Amino acid sequence: MLTSSVLTSGLLAQQGQPPGQGGAPEIDYLAILPIIIIFGAAAVGVLLEAVLPKHQRWSVQVGLSILAIVGAGLAFAYYVSDAPTEGITTIAGALSIDQPALFLWGTLLALGFGSILLIADRSVEPGGAFVAEAAIRPGTVQDRAQAQTTGMQTEVFPLALFALGGMMTFCAANDLLTMFIALEVLSLPLYLLCGLARRRRLLSQEAAVKYFLLGAFASAFFLYGLALLYGYAGSVKLADIATAAAGTDRSDALLFGGLGLLVVGLLFKGSVGPFHTWTPDVYQGAPTPVTAFMAACTKVAAFGGMLRVLTVAFESTSWEWRGVLWGVAIVSMVIGAILGLTQTDVKRMIAYSSIAHAGFLLIGTIALTDQGVSATMFYLLAYGFTTLAAFGVVSLVRDSSGEATHLSQWAGLAKRSPLIAAVFTFLLLALTGIPLTSGFVGKFVVFSAAIEDGMAPLVVIALVASAVAAFFYLRVIVLMYFSEPAEDGPTVSVPGTFTTAAITLGVAVTVLLGVLPTVVLDWATAGGGFAS
Amino acid sequence: MSAVLAQAVTLAQGGEVSTGEAVAFWILGPAAVAGALGMILARNAVHSALWLVLTMLSLAMIYLTQRATFLGFTQIIVYTGAIMMLFLFVLMLAGRDSSDSVVEVLRGQRLAAGLLGIGLAVLVVTLLGRSLTDTQIAAPLDPYSPEGGGAGGLGRLIFGDFLFPFELSAALLIVAAVGAMLLSHSGGKKTKKTQRELVEERFRGQHDRPSPLPGPGVFATANSVATPALLPDGSVAPESLSRIIDSAAAEEFRDEIREVSGTGPEADAHALITPAEGAEAPGGEGTDGQRADSEGDKA
Repeated sequence: MLTSSVLTSGLLAQQGQPPGQGGAPEIDYLAILPIIIIFGAAAVGVLLEAVLPKHQRWSVQVGLSILAIVGAGLAFAYYVSDAPTEGITTIAGALSIDQPALFLWGTLLALGFGSILLIADRSVEPGGAFVAEAAIRPGTVQDRAQAQTTGMQTEVFPLALFALGGMMTFCAANDLLTMFIALEVLSLPLYLLCGLARRRRLLSQEAAVKYFLLGAFASAFFLYGLALLYGYAGSVKLADIATAAAGTDRSDALLFGGLGLLVVGLLFKGSVGPFHTWTPDVYQGAPTPVTAFMAACTKVAAFGGMLRVLTVAFESTSWEWRGVLWGVAIVSMVIGAILGLTQTDVKRMIAYSSIAHAGFLLIGTIALTDQGVSATMFYLLAYGFTTLAAFGVVSLVRDSSGEATHLSQWAGLAKRSPLIAAVFTFLLLALTGIPLTSGFVGKFVVFSAAIEDGMAPLVVIALVASAVAAFFYLRVIVLMYFSEPAEDGPTVSVPGTFTTAAITLGVAVTVLLGVLPTVVLDWATAGGGFAS
Repeated sequence: MSAVLAQAVTLAQGGEVSTGEAVAFWILGPAAVAGALGMILARNAVHSALWLVLTMLSLAMIYLTQRATFLGFTQIIVYTGAIMMLFLFVLMLAGRDSSDSVVEVLRGQRLAAGLLGIGLAVLVVTLLGRSLTDTQIAAPLDPYSPEGGGAGGLGRLIFGDFLFPFELSAALLIVAAVGAMLLSHSGGKKTKKTQRELVEERFRGQHDRPSPLPGPGVFATANSVATPALLPDGSVAPESLSRIIDSAAAEEFRDEIREVSGTGPEADAHALITPAEGAEAPGGEGTDGQRADSEGDKA
């Protein structure tokens, strides 16, 4: 709050560029239509909460959310069909609708669709994974009474749409101020969604508080870095920062101090180690559909933003900061792979796996070549769908107290439900990076981009980390197939339409990108690059 | 931190700083930093909020000395006036007696966090200090031009260059409002409990105590909430002491309380007899004796 006021006063102090030239900025409505549809539907959803009776809300909200994402997808497809290759910037340069932004929008809309399906599911858990009345304190008489009911807080749908809109804006934000507000718009609904689990509510609320406090701290870092960069360049636009950084007559202290603090905020959102400490607790405590949404979509947004900031604004100074991000990538891969080995909870295990994957993604991000950008975007798409389906499967294995996430409860699962065990095995193999899955292609393109950019030592470390991480994926597979099931073990619920559709979508994309990666790779590499 | 930034802004005034401005800065800057530190270090949430008010007011004054009059007054009216007061209302509603837990869950965490935090602060401050020497200096503001420090310049920025972030913050506000409703408003029908149900719950131990909290009591010398209630034996009922209000009155009435509870100077049974034996005792016994006699006569 304070820093932003200081910033505004600073913005006033600058008169080199007369603001806005006195006229309203040009807006290319067609290009930003997907964002408008998502935010509009979210606002309508909030209104519907106020006017609809309780029993109608769920069906209307689900319909509205799916309609919004499909509508945004159609608008997006229409725009992509004849979008200018070099991309455009619109609304006074606040948004840059270029090829990477469009690819990431497509990814986010598809992943958001899958996540909404998981969130909407009411067949696995009667009434859905969300609490009926979030305001009731856990453990009270009222709480025990509401556990018997089958309602849910249908505000989760508009909140999820707001988060999705924030993510899409974040990927396309062309100045740091827009990026900061988009970061908040995507984070705030996620903090709320984390605390709304129906079962194990205290754990869920603890996750929400942890995520909120640490996220606010990371946002403060981002904002402070933004202020320093503004002091350096006299502008918050990425292109102006790049221009300022190209000339060397100014103080580098502000530039690198600002970059450092800014990147801390971004790395936090991408759950890259050593800024990962929230990840396992939040992934475990949040309702599983929300975990799936966070793991898949937030990573896309965070790395999309990081790609744009590093490539557009800081490419000319990459020599100075790249070494630090090398270190961060190594730390992230090592933390993810080694701590993943010690986990006994499936959700925590996938959380540590996501930290290791964040390290791999960072390798592609700091390559800073066209190939690196397209490889990272492909990896994001592939990883997003795999992890979405994996969390979908996790939500199916249940016992009387809710989801059975302890690894010992998964022993002998193949004997109870061969199909689910096979699907989960396939997804784990994709996370490992076995050929014929999307995970292999993703790792292959990222690592080859890194080698071409002269980062062979980093790739060697990444390969070792992948091998270590493979151990804990394989351990689960061995546990499912070669152990005797426990007497009072969990049962595998028969999923309803929504969860089935989401898991099928995730698995299908994982297979498709493994067998025919060129379909998407061609688009990712079609490359007009970043417009700014 | 903000002081250093503000200094950067001060220096940006075309490189020349008038004496009055420098004096104002060196008074306001340390005040702003002190307010920020006080906000973090204060144990009481209300004190924290008031420290923050100090920081905001100092910043507002710095804006005014920068000739950004509109921004300065907005800072005072909106942040200090509206937002902070709202903040205080929320704190008062949520209960201001909640204090931090001082249990350290991870051993040595506080020490490590303190050292690293101070290290980072030193790093950033020296970095900013060094960079101030070769920062590009911006032109001074002219509050009388449409682009300057008045509302016009701010309006042009908000509705021109930064139109999209401005509109986007609407989404943020909607989410915040929905979130607050979601976490605090319980929309379900609340059937009020009957007295019988309440009594049953009390005696099942679902409440802290079966009876209501003690009132001021028979021997109360005042009906203020700060006056503690006295139990039948005269001792202070601990439940009647408010945790929020400092019970100064309890100290004031210590002697009376001790007297009533019998912990003060002993009321000795012999004190009635020994010193005034000649005067009162015979009379007393005499009355009793006469009474007994008359009863005996009746019988």
